[in-house]
Amino acid sequence: MHVHVELFGLSRIAAGTKELSLELEQATTFRDIVRLLSTKYPDMIGNVINPDGETLHPPNIFNLNAKRMIKPNQMGECPSDGDRIILMSVSAGG
Amino acid sequence: MYGYSGKILHIDLTERKTWVEKKPEEWYKMYIGGVAMASRLAWENIESGCDPLSPGNVICVAGGLFCGTPVPVGGKWGLASKSPLTGFIGDSLSGSWFAITLKRSGWDGIVIHGASEDWVRVFVDDDRVTFHDASNLVGLNTYDTEDAIRDEYGDDQIRSACIGPAGENLSRIANVSNDGRKAGRTGQGAVWGSKKLKALSMRGTGGVEVADPDTLLQLSYDILQAAQGPHTQKYRVLGTSSNVLNMNKLGLLPTRNYQQGTFEDAELVSGEYLHEHYKAKTTACAQCPIACEQIGHVKEGPFAPAMGHIEYESLYALSSNCGVGDMEAAIKAITLCNELGTDTMSTGVTISWAMECYEKGVFTKEDFKCEKYPEGFEAKFGNGEAMVTLVEMIAHRDGYMGDLLAEGTKRASAKVDEERGTETYQWAMNIKGLELPGYDARALKTFSVGLAAGVRGGCHNRSAAYDPDIKGDVDRFSVDETRGELAKSTEEYAAVYDTLPLCKFIRRCFTGKADRAGAWPAIAKLINATTGWDFDYDAVDLIGVRAHTIKKAFNIREGWTRADDHLPWRWHHEPMKEGASAGHVVTEEELEYLKDLYYKAKGWTKEGLIPKEKLVELGMDDVAEEIGV
Repeated sequence: MHVHVELFGLSRIAAGTKELSLELEQATTFRDIVRLLSTKYPDMIGNVINPDGETLHPPNIFNLNAKRMIKPNQMGECPSDGDRIILMSVSAGG
Repeated sequence: MYGYSGKILHIDLTERKTWVEKKPEEWYKMYIGGVAMASRLAWENIESGCDPLSPGNVICVAGGLFCGTPVPVGGKWGLASKSPLTGFIGDSLSGSWFAITLKRSGWDGIVIHGASEDWVRVFVDDDRVTFHDASNLVGLNTYDTEDAIRDEYGDDQIRSACIGPAGENLSRIANVSNDGRKAGRTGQGAVWGSKKLKALSMRGTGGVEVADPDTLLQLSYDILQAAQGPHTQKYRVLGTSSNVLNMNKLGLLPTRNYQQGTFEDAELVSGEYLHEHYKAKTTACAQCPIACEQIGHVKEGPFAPAMGHIEYESLYALSSNCGVGDMEAAIKAITLCNELGTDTMSTGVTISWAMECYEKGVFTKEDFKCEKYPEGFEAKFGNGEAMVTLVEMIAHRDGYMGDLLAEGTKRASAKVDEERGTETYQWAMNIKGLELPGYDARALKTFSVGLAAGVRGGCHNRSAAYDPDIKGDVDRFSVDETRGELAKSTEEYAAVYDTLPLCKFIRRCFTGKADRAGAWPAIAKLINATTGWDFDYDAVDLIGVRAHTIKKAFNIREGWTRADDHLPWRWHHEPMKEGASAGHVVTEEELEYLKDLYYKAKGWTKEGLIPKEKLVELGMDDVAEEIGV
């Protein structure tokens, strides 16, 4: 399947790109995508991805198709072909 | 008493006299500092029913419990008076060396009464108070005013809170500047202007005695270490402006006066773009190891050499919400606001209302005649030069439009509708008169009641109810019975931070978890090491309840009714057409249902009034006597 990952904030700086286009196995989970990102962009580890390389450092979070946040306990779910995943970290205040 | 001097300084500008009020320790345990102490002082000293721009209003300054101690992000102070924008409580929070100097000068708070006949500045030099002619400072911008006062004494340790031209001209959206930072929202700069008070300067040479310095130092060190790690990295590198792309993606980024929730040029006014192209450096508030403030610098072009603090709330208001996709125009407009002493959010939202009026034919080019453009100009969305010019016009009340917009959206729309038979109130994006923050609550249903019921008006800092909506803890597009409790819980959580005060950006640095369980025990330890008190989780939680209650009580005394907890017309009637939040409004029935839930969660009556026994439970017997039911 094919998914797009949009990178906002620190993840964009760490990756040096705004968006990734990924070709994935059907059973790929959101957690697998975090693992993939941590392998491909090790600069994300620490600030965006936890040192375990497979969980997001809060409040970094995946948003699916701008509609639904993927909570930590939902990271074992699989995206669908054509999904857009946004890696964001919502701030407060200012 | 540790952590406090026990003294409040009263200054009467009319009689040019001062007196000292001593407060008992129990009073401090209830109101702590920051916005709660300032609001309590407002409750005690303001003539109920007074015109906010009359001598009956007072200026209340309150230090923070941790000011001048090693506690990270504790260098903040609260400011309160009756708001000339809302007619209800006006409370602001600001982090700067002014806060620390206030504490070191030996005062826990200052109340300024009356009004001067001529422009005056007040100098509090430890325990000596002197009044000085300020005619030489009138017309100076906020930065130049602070510099001029320091230069006069040849002492760069003198810290001032002051107003710029906007406050001098009684703009109801003026703020109070301090050490380059702003005590914004609710137009308190106009209160200072009405008293002809240009500046309050402090020099403090004392220290702050704490109960257990060793423990406080160790606790502070641990927090400081955490504050320089991943919990705050996004603030340090990008600041709050990184929210532009998040909000845009979620369809929540106010665009063209909240007509849309997505902006086609969001990338060009994003925190990421600022970081890459315009970031000069980052700076920090006093006593802060995070340093989140991103300084944007325009080096060339028509808006050079603008350089200012760029925060999300300032940025959305003075870019997407005015349809302006030009970061340089945004930096210029924000810089001008800070120099002239006008609130960036209210200024941007008021300008966007004027732009919508222009595009819909209510205003013509001639309505925008001003000193710079004697023939007027086309105030269309997207016109960066028009936006920048309007900031200056508002601060100086230049021309018909400058004078009109200096009143804020609520009064401006009412005046225009009366004069021209229009219905521009439908586009006046305010709650209780306070212009809205950068989150479109049509698709944040929990936040919608948090905003509607906000005691200082539509405010994202006082209500944090966007949090469960945005994080996906609840369905942000619908309402259910949990939302009243959520709105209550999040506003009281925020009130704890605003009262100590501590910057909320530290909230993950105690244990890694930002919730009450993660933060309150650590905050209790900080309080106890500072004061020698015996605060626990519940006592910390009560700080937020009391802080919110005293402000609500103030509003009730000023005539608040349930109808004042409203949303702007647009959010009830006009769904957005595009983006992830398209198609949603908060119906009037939904809002009334949410208000019922919220009042019930607060333990108030259906009309939103506070039962006497509830106030007595909180130890607020005198308040119960006046407004309890």
